[in-house]
Amino acid sequence: MSLRFQRLLLIFLSLIFLTASIFLILFNSKKNLIFFYTPSELLNSKTQINDTIRIGGIVKKDSLKNIEDNKYVFIIQDNNNYVRVSYTGILPDLFREEQGVVVQGKLIKIDKIKADRVFAKHDENYMPTSIKKQLEKNKYWNKSYQ
Amino acid sequence: MISIVGFTNLLLSFLIGLIIFFSYFFNNKNTISRTYYNLVFFKFFFIIVSFLTLIYAYIVSDFSNQNVFENSHSDKPILYKISGAWGNHEGSMLLWLLIMSSYTLFFTLNKNLTDNIKKLTITFQTSLFLLFAVFVILTSNPFLINSINFEEGMGLNPILQDPALAVHPPILYVGYVGFSLILSLALAGLTFKQIDYEWMNTAKKLTLFCWSMLTAGIALGSYWAYYELGWGGWWFWDPVENVSLMPWIAGLALVHSLMITKKEKILIRWIVFLSILCFSLSIFGTFLVRSGILTSVHSFATDSARGIFILIIFLVSTGFSFILFIFKTDDSEEKLKLLFINKSTALIFNNIVMIIACLTILLGTIYPIVIEVITNKRISVGAPYFNSTALPILLPGFLLMSIAPALSWQNNKLPKYKSYIFVFIALSLLSFIIVYLNAFNVWGFIGIALGLIIIFSSLLSVYFNCIKFGLRNFINHNNALLAHIGVGILVLGITTSSVYKSEFSVTFMINEKKQINHYSYTLLKLETNQNSNFQELVAVFSLYKDNKKIAEIKPSKRYYNVSKMITTEAGIYHSWFQDFYIIIGNEKDQIWSVKIYQNPLVSLIWIGVIIMVLSGLLGIRRA
Repeated sequence: MSLRFQRLLLIFLSLIFLTASIFLILFNSKKNLIFFYTPSELLNSKTQINDTIRIGGIVKKDSLKNIEDNKYVFIIQDNNNYVRVSYTGILPDLFREEQGVVVQGKLIKIDKIKADRVFAKHDENYMPTSIKKQLEKNKYWNKSYQ
Repeated sequence: MISIVGFTNLLLSFLIGLIIFFSYFFNNKNTISRTYYNLVFFKFFFIIVSFLTLIYAYIVSDFSNQNVFENSHSDKPILYKISGAWGNHEGSMLLWLLIMSSYTLFFTLNKNLTDNIKKLTITFQTSLFLLFAVFVILTSNPFLINSINFEEGMGLNPILQDPALAVHPPILYVGYVGFSLILSLALAGLTFKQIDYEWMNTAKKLTLFCWSMLTAGIALGSYWAYYELGWGGWWFWDPVENVSLMPWIAGLALVHSLMITKKEKILIRWIVFLSILCFSLSIFGTFLVRSGILTSVHSFATDSARGIFILIIFLVSTGFSFILFIFKTDDSEEKLKLLFINKSTALIFNNIVMIIACLTILLGTIYPIVIEVITNKRISVGAPYFNSTALPILLPGFLLMSIAPALSWQNNKLPKYKSYIFVFIALSLLSFIIVYLNAFNVWGFIGIALGLIIIFSSLLSVYFNCIKFGLRNFINHNNALLAHIGVGILVLGITTSSVYKSEFSVTFMINEKKQINHYSYTLLKLETNQNSNFQELVAVFSLYKDNKKIAEIKPSKRYYNVSKMITTEAGIYHSWFQDFYIIIGNEKDQIWSVKIYQNPLVSLIWIGVIIMVLSGLLGIRRA
């Protein structure tokens, strides 16, 4: 192999690698974006059944039920609408009724989500900014959450 | 009272910084006087006194200090009183200043560089120090005094009360902040167009040190997340994890580039560029974390003024660096000896891979922010994005890593290439059989094969080196190979623990025995312990294999009296081949919900990292 040919081959390989990476990025970013909604926004969104989404809001009072071992259902609400959530696993220590929560999972009915992750507030002083902004906008913000 | 002493010392250090900075413009001699060194020393002295004052205020629980009041409590064990000093935004920024000054002081000891480079480096370093000092004094002063008297403080966030996390910030900062000195050094070298052998040598030692520290710091944080968050994993592609990974990868690219230039003085521009990139990414990460733009488990108490200030520091330092970079670099470089398979080519390809991986992570991290600003929609980029994008991009790099150190600098040959090909084929087959006998999984196969190939071909190179050079200077000849063996072990650990992890949600009553995945577990009893600042509920599980007791595992829940918070502590039994990981959940009618993870070969991750850090540190001696 001549030097010139080797260099060309190298440049060629690098270019293939670059294009492959760009395609990977484009392909994966389209597939793995998770949209975040409040219950009211969810109704107006174009989310399809079986899409993976995140829902944030307040856990409705007296809605948490333990149907069987490790299986829970509860309701997330903002001031106008609600979403029912089912979850199997251990709820985080900071999970409380009437407090902020974010769940991630598959939408199985138009108002029901099967969660595989539940994120509760991190500590008593902290509420994810994304939920806070949203709830403030919907006038469902209570000072005591802060 | 103590606070005033601390603040005065901070101001004194700032003033001396100003003197050092301006002395550069008024004293044009290119030699460094004794007084100049003394100034650098006193800048360090005052800032360390200031920092020790803060620690003292924490130890004696001086709640007249606002910062101590907000982040400490007299009940805390002494270790967490001390670590509380940097467990919050203000204190950690003071630590940042301290480490920056320590690096400057340390740099004055360097005897190989010429005085003009040294002086300019110290000047650049001091100007960065001044920027951050203004930031601390104006927006994040840890010495504010409480207007009301308090008897008791508010306590430190319980999940931060942990030995691994007590040492995590200082070690991580030694890494991050060290990049500032590399940046200053690069800018000084650029200004005088004096990037020579001595410069390379100093830069290489520094980069190896910072990178090793950063690795150790990230690993400590990751280890903490493993047992404290109770999610069974050790890496979640959380934005804050990502922003620490970006300077880490850039630093790794820099370490490798400096290797090439040790042999041939080429690629200088690229090295300067990487030096700028490393510190820019560090500050950019700090900006994302401290400004509250990112929602993450690491969020500090946020304040938009701080965010804007760090953004200004970022823009000023990065902007200045890149402008200098554009105007000062010249083209008089030697031609690269690019052959198809020599070491330089391998290293350049490695750099391309790393930079692209870094970009991928950067995109995934800031994409949600950009989308929110533009469309006002909130999205998050899930962990699958990072796994399925960054990992395939890194693959060719890993493959190359197994042979690259054995390649020659000059010619186009891999010595004894047949043995390497043999290792490659044999181990691919072996891993295929291993994976096939367990559950077949493509990623499992690729990961295990790569890990084994890296380990064994590096061992092979070590063996050839020993034949060639004997055992004298073993570390000198094989240091890079040892680091690569560490990476191979890490890859094995990552693959097996993530692909073959098993996860079970079960319930237990007391004395109930359950058979789960070839092992049986019994919940023996529940105990309560009273500690100085928390109550603990411990569940005692026994683990049996074939009716023989192997271990007791004690997961627990802690209730912290001061912050009224519950934390979950995972109970982990590390066996040679897998970790048994248990978390307890809620109780209902004497029935406890429990989550059990069996994570195969997780320990390899930590072993691999330890090898990488040690060989990085050992490499400093050689450089």
